[in-house]
Amino acid sequence: MVSSRESAVKLRGVAKRYSDIIAVDHIDLDVEYGEIFGLLGPNGSGKTTTLKMILGLVKPDSGSINVLGTNAEENPVEVKRQVGYVPESPRLYEFLTGIEYLDFVGDVYGMDASEKKNRIDEYLEALELEGREGDMISSYSQGMKQKIALISAFIHKPKLLLLDEPLSGLDPRSARIVKDLLRELTSQGVTTIMPTHVLGIAQAMCDRIAIMYEGRFLALGNIEELRAKARLPESDLEDIFLKLTGTGDIRAVVEELLR
Amino acid sequence: MNWKNVLRLISVDTKSGRLIRGQRLRRYTESKLFPYLLYGGSCILGLAIGWLVGNFYSGIPDLDTKAIIYQGALNLFPSLPTMVLIYSLVFTMMSQIQRSGARASIQPPYWLPITWEEHTLASTLANLIGVPLASIVLIGSAVAVASIFLGTIALATLTIFALLVSAFLASTTTEIFRILQVRLVGAVYKSSGRAAIWVRFLGTMLFLIAFYIVWFAFTSGANYVAIVEGIASAQSTLWLIPYVWLGIALVFFIKGLLAYVVIFSLASLLFILVLFYVAIRMNMRFGLYEPPAITVSRGAYAPRVGFLGKLGFSSLEAAVMKKDFKAFTRRRELMYLFIMPLVFIIMPLMQWVGGGERFSPFIFAWILLGPGTIMAVMLGSMIVGSEGGSIWHFYSSPITARGFVKCKYAFVTIFSLIVMGVCSVVAVLVAHPSLDLAIASSIESVLLIVALGMVSLRSGIKGADFVEIPRPRMIRPLSAVVNMIVCAVLALVILSPLIPYAISMMISLMNLPISLPKFDLHLALPISGFVSLIITYIFYKMTLKNAEDFLTKAEV
Repeated sequence: MVSSRESAVKLRGVAKRYSDIIAVDHIDLDVEYGEIFGLLGPNGSGKTTTLKMILGLVKPDSGSINVLGTNAEENPVEVKRQVGYVPESPRLYEFLTGIEYLDFVGDVYGMDASEKKNRIDEYLEALELEGREGDMISSYSQGMKQKIALISAFIHKPKLLLLDEPLSGLDPRSARIVKDLLRELTSQGVTTIMPTHVLGIAQAMCDRIAIMYEGRFLALGNIEELRAKARLPESDLEDIFLKLTGTGDIRAVVEELLR
Repeated sequence: MNWKNVLRLISVDTKSGRLIRGQRLRRYTESKLFPYLLYGGSCILGLAIGWLVGNFYSGIPDLDTKAIIYQGALNLFPSLPTMVLIYSLVFTMMSQIQRSGARASIQPPYWLPITWEEHTLASTLANLIGVPLASIVLIGSAVAVASIFLGTIALATLTIFALLVSAFLASTTTEIFRILQVRLVGAVYKSSGRAAIWVRFLGTMLFLIAFYIVWFAFTSGANYVAIVEGIASAQSTLWLIPYVWLGIALVFFIKGLLAYVVIFSLASLLFILVLFYVAIRMNMRFGLYEPPAITVSRGAYAPRVGFLGKLGFSSLEAAVMKKDFKAFTRRRELMYLFIMPLVFIIMPLMQWVGGGERFSPFIFAWILLGPGTIMAVMLGSMIVGSEGGSIWHFYSSPITARGFVKCKYAFVTIFSLIVMGVCSVVAVLVAHPSLDLAIASSIESVLLIVALGMVSLRSGIKGADFVEIPRPRMIRPLSAVVNMIVCAVLALVILSPLIPYAISMMISLMNLPISLPKFDLHLALPISGFVSLIITYIFYKMTLKNAEDFLTKAEV
């Protein structure tokens, strides 16, 4: 599970507990530079807590976290400077317009004015938000808000992207643009960690996937390694996931519901 | 009408206030302590007041005095429904203004099998829960006990019934106002285009000013006896207005004209039914109305380099300050922060306009010191909590604790100083104060803003509450109370070097034959400034520590 190469994100013995609930249970993880890493797991399995600990938003009870060569606990500000983050349900400043919001984010990351303008214009055009950028975000649809949140994670050219369910609410065209963009950024050395429940997206996009369950990694590797671990050589990620998390026997549940 | 649905909806509304920062809701058990304290305390207080009044009345040996007090009680009872109506109207309207833009908690009824009648009734009744209901319990229990001694049990019973109906009447009116403002405001935005933001801001401010002018015109300079007398006489002259019919019915009951009692009571009930029907129809028509999008800017985007950068703020700090300015001028639920400064200006001005007297130097100092200081205290304590669910931006941004405190504190002080500046212009134009007084008041105002802004920011970080539904809390109640007490004490400490100056001014105003040693203002002001700076520095260190903790413990 642990690579010998220099890693973009390195977790060692990381644990986090909320009163009597173990959110993350002494995990080790190495995510390489230029990798799209998928985090899968049932609700409450510890994916989001892991993501927040990587960003320095939540302090681990034990263990160490190193992000882009920086200790996340000791220097969270330096980590945040190099990270683009989109939470699962991003609450944006709805009283700002789309353009004001992106201008705000650009300033927060200390971007140069002309560079900020160019990037914002490019992204607004690519994600088809042109013409609505002067409207208050409160009037945007969920998908438009997600696009704004994604642009805000991309514009300052971060080295690490932490994207919780990044394609949630996006129309097919925008989803495709974001997927292609992530692949392109990967080729430039940008690392992406992506918790998701959409197994098809994880299978199609991620170089490696970790399946989390009750705060631990049940399996970690590329799709072939996961198949081997689950002993399901021809199966897709859904079957692997259900088998590994022990939630595969769903026929009885459905029958019970239909009674 | 499914009454269980109504009760369920009211229950949801009351439970929406239970989320408190730092509490894990997994094992939440609802505390009954606050309702017990509120309603139980009001009831006990009311019973005690009623018992005291009753005993006092019984103990009067002189029959003439007794008759005067009895007559006073007879005047009071018919005024109570109108008083409760006005009070409930003010409270429920204010409560609507503070309601959050977040609509999550009120949307589920729209897709659940709940009728508009049930929804409207639940919303109307839920408006009354809390202080309006507690005040009815207080007044009602006092009236009930006092009436036993006065021998007016029948009148008291009718009065209590009228109190409840009046409160419902007020709440129904507020419900109509709520729906109307959603629809009208939407129409205004649509027609005002890019100016919509300022139309909204100025509209809200004008509403608040108008509201307070009416409120102070009604209450300023008057004691409660005068208010009761005012209502009693107003009711008879304004009998065409349905809102006073309940009070008029009570007047006729006292006079023994039962036919008129029945007529005005039935007319009141009919009026309530009509209002309620209107509220239901409006909810059906506009309940699901989505306000149009507000377009703020069109054309090519051009980033601007603001003057904040020249003042030494980093781009991050300047961005946060600009964002905060937009929040306080665009978020309707935050605009009520402007109420306190408005009250501080309107209240003395109303008294001055009404009385026609020369402006007292103390009122000048009040207008100059009050609004800016109150603004600093309120803004400081609420600015962090006002982020609500959007606080994740700070958790994930590369902002240091020092930068966080710097930009939030700078916003609080700059905004408060602007308010102070506007108020001082008003005060100088109206009062023509002496140069000494103007300088002393201005300097003290700045010192209070600087120190109390920092004190409050520390409370605002430590006690931040990000709950936004049904209205943004921004700061936990206990932290708010503690902050107010600490600020009051520290304000006195800062102002204390000038107490001899205030005393000498008072003596000269009252022409008292007392001679005091000459007071040196030039010495008192630097001492006051030194005290203010010490307080600011101590609290800055504490705020910085709180900010460090705050930024490393993400809560959303």
